[in-house]
Amino acid sequence: MPSFDTAEGFARHREWEKKLYAGRWSAVSWPEQYGGRGADYIKWLIFEEEYYRAGAPGRVNQNGIFLLGPTIMEVGTEAQKTRFLPTMASSEIVWGQAWSEPNAGSDLAGIKSKATRDGDDWILNGQKIWASRAVWADWCFGIFRTDPEAERHRGLTFILCPLDLPGITVRPIAQLDGDTGFAEIFFDDVRVPVENTLGEVNKGWNVAMATAGFERGVSLRSPARFSEAVNRLVALWRRLGDPSDTALSDAVTDVWMQAEGYRLHTYQTVTGMLEGRPIGAEASLNKIFWSEMDVRIHEIALQIIGPEAERMEGPLERWVDGFLFSLSGPIYAGTNEIQRNIIADRVLQLPKGM
Amino acid sequence: MKFSFSDDQRMFAEGLRDLLSNECPPSHVREIWESGSGHSPDLWSHLSGMGVLSMLAPETSGGMGGTFVDAILLFQELGRAAVPGPVLEHMAVGVPALASSSWGPSLIDGTTIATVAVEDSPYVAHASTARIIVGVDSVIEGYTTTDAHGIDGGRRLCRVEGGSSTPCSSNVGGVDAFDAMALASAAYLIGLSEKMIEIAAEYARVREQFGKPIGSFQAVKHLMSDALLKVEFAKAPTYRAAFSASIGADTMVRDISMAKALASEAAYRTSRSTMQVHGGIGYTWEADLQLFMKKAWALMRAYGDPTFHRRRVSGFVLA
Repeated sequence: MPSFDTAEGFARHREWEKKLYAGRWSAVSWPEQYGGRGADYIKWLIFEEEYYRAGAPGRVNQNGIFLLGPTIMEVGTEAQKTRFLPTMASSEIVWGQAWSEPNAGSDLAGIKSKATRDGDDWILNGQKIWASRAVWADWCFGIFRTDPEAERHRGLTFILCPLDLPGITVRPIAQLDGDTGFAEIFFDDVRVPVENTLGEVNKGWNVAMATAGFERGVSLRSPARFSEAVNRLVALWRRLGDPSDTALSDAVTDVWMQAEGYRLHTYQTVTGMLEGRPIGAEASLNKIFWSEMDVRIHEIALQIIGPEAERMEGPLERWVDGFLFSLSGPIYAGTNEIQRNIIADRVLQLPKGM
Repeated sequence: MKFSFSDDQRMFAEGLRDLLSNECPPSHVREIWESGSGHSPDLWSHLSGMGVLSMLAPETSGGMGGTFVDAILLFQELGRAAVPGPVLEHMAVGVPALASSSWGPSLIDGTTIATVAVEDSPYVAHASTARIIVGVDSVIEGYTTTDAHGIDGGRRLCRVEGGSSTPCSSNVGGVDAFDAMALASAAYLIGLSEKMIEIAAEYARVREQFGKPIGSFQAVKHLMSDALLKVEFAKAPTYRAAFSASIGADTMVRDISMAKALASEAAYRTSRSTMQVHGGIGYTWEADLQLFMKKAWALMRAYGDPTFHRRRVSGFVLA
């Protein structure tokens, strides 16, 4: 299947999601009433292991199913759950993210896009960037400044917005691989009803941090993806690796241990969650770990591949594509440097800096 | 599937932590180091009284009847306090290997102390403290020792001569002495690392430069976060290795090697980073950090260094 960051690939991935939904496999950890199976975390991890072992397609609606969905379940009203979750599970509506702005990247609280109240509507104005999937998505979720007087983290509100409204311009941005996996979104007096507010007005930062917790934590990056990649790496090493090159075999074993360690760590984390020990700022440790591991897996693969690693199309293109994709990991969902600050401040209790 | 410890296991470990914070503060470890003995008889009797030493002996022999899963958090707590003396060797090998022999009762109550000889080293740690040495297939007693001047003052490194040996198997439930020590050391190294991070974080909160606590600087935050990352991701593999050892899993040797490699590298990285965070004071005899760093440097090489263990994992994964 072509990449979901192309027009054709996006459409085909949406069809695949509909097929998954028809078998109730699209959101297994969700409650049954919203299209899921009520699977606990352990069962979800098992689903993921089988899914990636089978080499099944990437999840085009992951922004919805794995990030926004759990957030709606946590802070949404009953009406919002009924309205948004089933169409999300079926990918009738595919979601994009609208968080970062040109001057609010790592410093996300510096958001300037505004939502101004007008009767029962919000009027949105401003510019978002690095909006994942926004080129072909149907709706987006983002945070907007609703109280310009308030201190930075306060005065933000989490708003859900269709992407086909008058006043919205989506300008695709080609990623490192040339595909338009993200976009700029310009809001010019865009009118959305206030019932599209998720969580309380001016409490959008807290809602966004819940979403970010899902993104950095276990839900977006299940260990199965890396176990699968590492198994492919071992197979690649067996086929093309030089067994007398111990630096190379040590490196392959190293990432195998990392993927296995990540899997075990995740099982430990989800057991803790099931036993009532929720994950907090430790989610940032996960994010650093999986993103750096993913880059390392692909670096080693390219080293094994040799001259073929220069080719964007060829028998081993998947590794080259994978390498480019892996490089986004340490940047998105909060750069790894920001994650290190979070760990230092909240887990190690070091004094706030900057 | 359940990947966690029971309440009993957690409570026992917390009890040991409390005992050690009273009976084995860094000042006590330092006293033992500076005395040259490398062992604390008072602390030893506390550990015996609590049942720590006999955790891995069967109940029928008067032990606690625990498995490696029951013991692993205890090894970690012992590391947090950098407990000196042959506690790992005695607990993980001496007691389980000889529990049903004539040495059993006195090993279980701690009046006889055992240590371990492994084939990959010409030295025996704690031989001058112990009365008996458990080798691969024999027990040695009545030997003489000379000090080999190890870097860790809580781990007397010795050359051993003479003595008489009696046949015995150091393999208990499929786990040989080397692997039992690698596993116990992995958990102990994690405990050491946790404590080094705690000490350095405390220092970074109070030490000021440029008019601010140094912990507010990103360069310091990132050193500390990276150390924590390595330590946290060495834990689950170590606990899994304990589980594999407790059930004699097919993957046991691979799992123990993975744990020892990861815990050793985490501890080494942590020692470097936490020393760096301390600056000049980290390079002194006076700072408590050395008690934990030097123990880590000794244990990361003992019972198989990271390269040895990584290549043993390779043998399973890449074969």
